[in-house]
Amino acid sequence: MVFPFVWSFSTSLQTTETLLHVPPQLIPKSPSLDAYRELMEVMPFARMVINSTIVTVVVVVLQVVTSALAGYGIARFRFRGRHALLLLYLGTMMVPFQVTIVPLFIGMSRLGWLNTLHALILPMVASAFGVFLFRQYFMQMPRELEEAAALDGAGPWRTFWSVAFPYARPAAATFGILAFMAAWNSFLWPLFVARDESSMTLPVGLASLHGRYQTDWNLVMAGSVIAVVPVIIVFAVIQRHISAGLLLGGVAK
Amino acid sequence: MKTTRRLWVLLSVLVLVAAACSTDDTTDTTTTQTATTTEAPGGAGTETTTTEPPPSEEPTTIRYFTFSAAPDNLDALDAMIVAFEAENPDVKVEVETAPFDNYFTLLQTQVAGNDAPDAFELNFENFVTFATKGTLADLGPFTSADTGFDGEAYYQPAFDAFAVGGTQYGLPASYSTVMLFYNQDIFDAAGIDYPTDDWTWAEERATAEAIAATGDNVWGFFAGVHYWEFYKAAWQNGCEFFGADGSVQVNEPGCVEALQFMIDYVNDGVQPTAAEMGGVSDGDMFLNGELGMITTGIWMFSGFEGADFTWDVVVEPGNTRGGSHFFANGVAVSAASDADKQEAAYRWLRFFTSSDEAAKIRVAASWELPTLTDASLYDGYLAIEPPANREAVLASLENVVVPPVIERQAEMQDALNGLIERALSGEMTAQEALDQAKAEIEALL
Amino acid sequence: MIWLGSDRRWWIVFVAPSLTMLLVFTVAPIAAAAVLSFYRWDLLTSPEYVGLGNFIELAGDDGFRAALVHTLTFIAGYVPSVMVIGLVLALLLNRRSRLSGVSRVVFFMPVVAAWVAVALMWKWMLNSRFGVVNWVLSLVGVEGPAWLFERGWAMASVIGVSVWKDAGFVMILFLAGLAAIPAEHREAAFVDGANPWQAFWRVTFPLLTPVVLLVLIILMINSFQVFEQVWILTEGGPLGSTTVVVERIVKNAFSFGRMGYAAAMSWVLFAFIFSVTVLQTRFQKRWVHYGA
Repeated sequence: MVFPFVWSFSTSLQTTETLLHVPPQLIPKSPSLDAYRELMEVMPFARMVINSTIVTVVVVVLQVVTSALAGYGIARFRFRGRHALLLLYLGTMMVPFQVTIVPLFIGMSRLGWLNTLHALILPMVASAFGVFLFRQYFMQMPRELEEAAALDGAGPWRTFWSVAFPYARPAAATFGILAFMAAWNSFLWPLFVARDESSMTLPVGLASLHGRYQTDWNLVMAGSVIAVVPVIIVFAVIQRHISAGLLLGGVAK
Repeated sequence: MKTTRRLWVLLSVLVLVAAACSTDDTTDTTTTQTATTTEAPGGAGTETTTTEPPPSEEPTTIRYFTFSAAPDNLDALDAMIVAFEAENPDVKVEVETAPFDNYFTLLQTQVAGNDAPDAFELNFENFVTFATKGTLADLGPFTSADTGFDGEAYYQPAFDAFAVGGTQYGLPASYSTVMLFYNQDIFDAAGIDYPTDDWTWAEERATAEAIAATGDNVWGFFAGVHYWEFYKAAWQNGCEFFGADGSVQVNEPGCVEALQFMIDYVNDGVQPTAAEMGGVSDGDMFLNGELGMITTGIWMFSGFEGADFTWDVVVEPGNTRGGSHFFANGVAVSAASDADKQEAAYRWLRFFTSSDEAAKIRVAASWELPTLTDASLYDGYLAIEPPANREAVLASLENVVVPPVIERQAEMQDALNGLIERALSGEMTAQEALDQAKAEIEALL
Repeated sequence: MIWLGSDRRWWIVFVAPSLTMLLVFTVAPIAAAAVLSFYRWDLLTSPEYVGLGNFIELAGDDGFRAALVHTLTFIAGYVPSVMVIGLVLALLLNRRSRLSGVSRVVFFMPVVAAWVAVALMWKWMLNSRFGVVNWVLSLVGVEGPAWLFERGWAMASVIGVSVWKDAGFVMILFLAGLAAIPAEHREAAFVDGANPWQAFWRVTFPLLTPVVLLVLIILMINSFQVFEQVWILTEGGPLGSTTVVVERIVKNAFSFGRMGYAAAMSWVLFAFIFSVTVLQTRFQKRWVHYGA
């Protein structure tokens, strides 16, 4: 499982001279950071890390917040069209993203948003899956918790933020990591809308790096290492809070 | 804590409002811009050419979109713009760039979004698509009103290439060509004579075989087996994709023979297969000393500079006739821009393509070559070594081949590349592949 | 608690942010794609209404049919493999009461890493001349193929890499499913004298079937949309043997300037995903056991 990562890391420490050699060196004889240095020169990699970070953080926070709100709204209020609304969310989950990509792209280009970060963020904010997950979670939340808050005179808004949302922390963590992975690794959409170096995110930058420096594998692997390490660290830190059981529950409905 | 929450709520509301507002904006701009498109392009432009606007007036800003400048030649482009703006204080040029892979998609969507740049670069293949779809302004009214314009200054095949049906829609800006490169050290070691500018296919093939025979990890020759090499090889063998009447002739004997000739290099072990290359590019194989000869573009000159062997170039050999690639990039003015912007854009394009200043900057930067006939412009370029035989670049202009172009160009290339790959794999014969190519191209016309 | 009285109108505030974004950036584009699929549009000239023309052309498009077949081939290879491997891993690890943090991270590394990065890593490892895979094979006297350049191996390589990437994800879902099965059930089976193999098939697996169905649905939906690994690893080659549906959509929309045609293709893809999902839920009664 881990070997490809180790191998890539080892490759990224090679120089171009030692790279194309049989037998390959697992532990570089003279490790160097040249590839990383060159990477920074040929592409604005720092810019891409920043872009990816901004997009990911904003998307994850907005997804978690809007999904938790909507999930609570559907779970705890009785209003007309509630079932239709659930069906609408369910329906959009079945439509592959590729269906929307052409019109979305044209829309973004009309708005003059190509190569901007909003084009990367806005279409990703609503998550039908997130709404389901939170709705499930709030459905099985003991009502007494909120009732206590309501007795203290709190309205729905305050009750949500002071009682319900903190209670849903495991759901937020589980959904958050999925949203994080999806946003950080997202490729197809950014491939179309973030084409210049000012708005490029890591995966697209990586693909274009590969296009330009096909055989400089040390360079390409250095880029891959930079793209992979943050997400692994985030996962390692947050993994204790993730509940796969919850995920099953969210998918089930 | 509470403040942060409020902040987020506020933020999401703001985002929503922004989205809603921008949607309204678009509807507005779309309608206004459509209105401008209906104005006769270039009509009013002629007048402005002759009248110098008062210098106190706000300069006209034009957007220029290019792929060939970024990332290596932006400094050269900036220098040209500085020189242009010094001569034309009433115009300001704003540069937008995109890498070649994405450039045409972006340009198309900008046109679709009524947000096209005022002037933009087009390679010859895509020029035809854009010109026939009415996206480019007719330059005729501008050139005829411009006393300083001299069409003869351009290399004529290139100048003509940017006209459709007698209407000049673009000006040629630069070109590059393809040569036969060879590794002199390999030739010396094998005791084989160097190629010459008047070689033919038979000599190329025999020499490649001799080199391939010298060692296990040396191949005699490399040329891409794809659309770009194929139409040129076909031409060199007297076959063109389209007849004078527009009929598809891609399966004529001359074309089939050319494809077979290309494939045989690989099948006979003279040229490495994709698997033997293992993802190493042809240029890198040449640099590693694994290829005796390689057919590639003059854009590789700088990449090969650091080679640890001596190399040189000759004009590519032909069979029944000579033929060298001529990859021209031109520039054009958007049909959708306002008349005054079109006129300013035209002036920038004329400066960019034909002024001595721009040509000198271009040559000094080795940013392709200017499509101008004035030989003195090349002096500095020809003095640089390697390659010693740099003059061959100019000699190659004597017989040039331009790509066969149709409106649905990308699809034609895609179809041909697929069929050429089939022929290479032996799944189809060259004849079968090209018979099918004829049918597929006809369906695209 | 259910909010009533004057508080009940607050639902709008809760639902609005998510719903607005969904309507603007998902529902509206879906509707637009439906309209667009009846037009021919190259972006340069105005769209032209062609009725069912795009769909008719699609029916006779060999390239699209080939891409569909390749996508189904991918699914046929990938889905069973990743499910079996994920399940086996889950059963092996289920012995421990709780997966340690380290092993979670280890199994999840491929899952969380970007497809682009992972595909590039494997492209380098599978390199026919300098790749570590063929070098290892050469140590045991096997001459490895040119994985990504040979017709017989390219799709197999794509499938193998995909299985490697996703096995951890499938495993974690199965682990959660296993954790929900009360231990008494299996113990009861052992008391009846069943060996572990019988106990698995008679007791554990039937109780796990709802999770199996869920995993199957998720994997099918995802694998119909296979794209990134192909785009990086093989670019659809060799000889077009790994072209897939999404790659055709991308190419038609963004290289060929055929927006309407690409939209029509995306609807066909949707039709496949939709009908497969419906079939799976319809036939679940035959093999899925709910409740202990």
